[in-house]
Amino acid sequence: MKKPLILTLIFVALGAMVYFYNAYNKEHTDVSTADVLQELTTSDLFAAFDADVALATEQYAEQVITVSGSIYSIDLENEKEPQIVLQANGDDGFIRCGFATAARSQVESLQEYSNIKIKGLCKGMNDAGDLDLLAERDVILSDCIIID
Amino acid sequence: MKKISTLILATLALIAIAASSHSGGVYKTNTGTIDFFSHTPVEDISAVNHKVKTAFSSANGKIQFSVLIKDFEFEKALMQEHFNENYMESTKYRTATFSGTITDIAKIKVSTDGTYTSQVTGKLTIKDVTKEVATTGTFTVKGGVVNAKAAFNLNPSDYNVKIPRTVMNKISDDIKISIDADYKHLH
Repeated sequence: MKKPLILTLIFVALGAMVYFYNAYNKEHTDVSTADVLQELTTSDLFAAFDADVALATEQYAEQVITVSGSIYSIDLENEKEPQIVLQANGDDGFIRCGFATAARSQVESLQEYSNIKIKGLCKGMNDAGDLDLLAERDVILSDCIIID
Repeated sequence: MKKISTLILATLALIAIAASSHSGGVYKTNTGTIDFFSHTPVEDISAVNHKVKTAFSSANGKIQFSVLIKDFEFEKALMQEHFNENYMESTKYRTATFSGTITDIAKIKVSTDGTYTSQVTGKLTIKDVTKEVATTGTFTVKGGVVNAKAAFNLNPSDYNVKIPRTVMNKISDDIKISIDADYKHLH
């Protein structure tokens, strides 16, 4: 009677160890293989955050989405994270897409004002409230890859 | 002769206007970097954000930052999850902001290459809690780009960041925040 109890305890302890090890070493979302929550245009994505930023954050933040739109600028200033900015709402709103360091040459080869489709992990909107020098608003996508 | 001197004066005036508009403008970037580092004997934790929006006015020294909390990247996904969901509640408190002043802005010659230092003071807002912070910033001007570097320490509990007792020994109460941003003149 004592032996089965000890064996059960050992199995439970081993199971718990495996569970916590896996949880601790959980991988980040792999955008390239992740399912897409929704396919959007840049204008539609920005409009969702513009209409209700709290609701849009609940809906899209930490979700993999695709956005299609026109490239406003290619921003290679940050050595660690090449970025592109997509037009979304005139001079007031943009979608800022960050790429892996290794994608720098790919990002560099893009053309401003050309159309593009990006898959990325939506992080939310960086709006600075009443800070007057930072008036324009960006919806942020990270770990982006170019689809088309 | 009069015509020539008038032309020279007009040219000089235009140069002066161009120079003053360049030195008295707003400098900005959306690709600044903020990283933080927590050291305890049990564990070191760091995270980085490369999409920091920041600008300063070379006319009056006003400087502002806005950073999206969810865009901080950790080495471990679990840490990132805990940071967002448990500590920062980043769905509710989406951004952290700083609004302050470069005290010695007159010393920083944005049109002359060189390295300048100045006190930066202002209000840092995290999780709707606003506190005064002060640090020394190093401003390096090179080819029209102004690089700013600064660092300061903060205690998470000052900003309503509640660390559960079970992980208290893994998270420092003296977290180092480092800033690195390359500002360009806004035309």
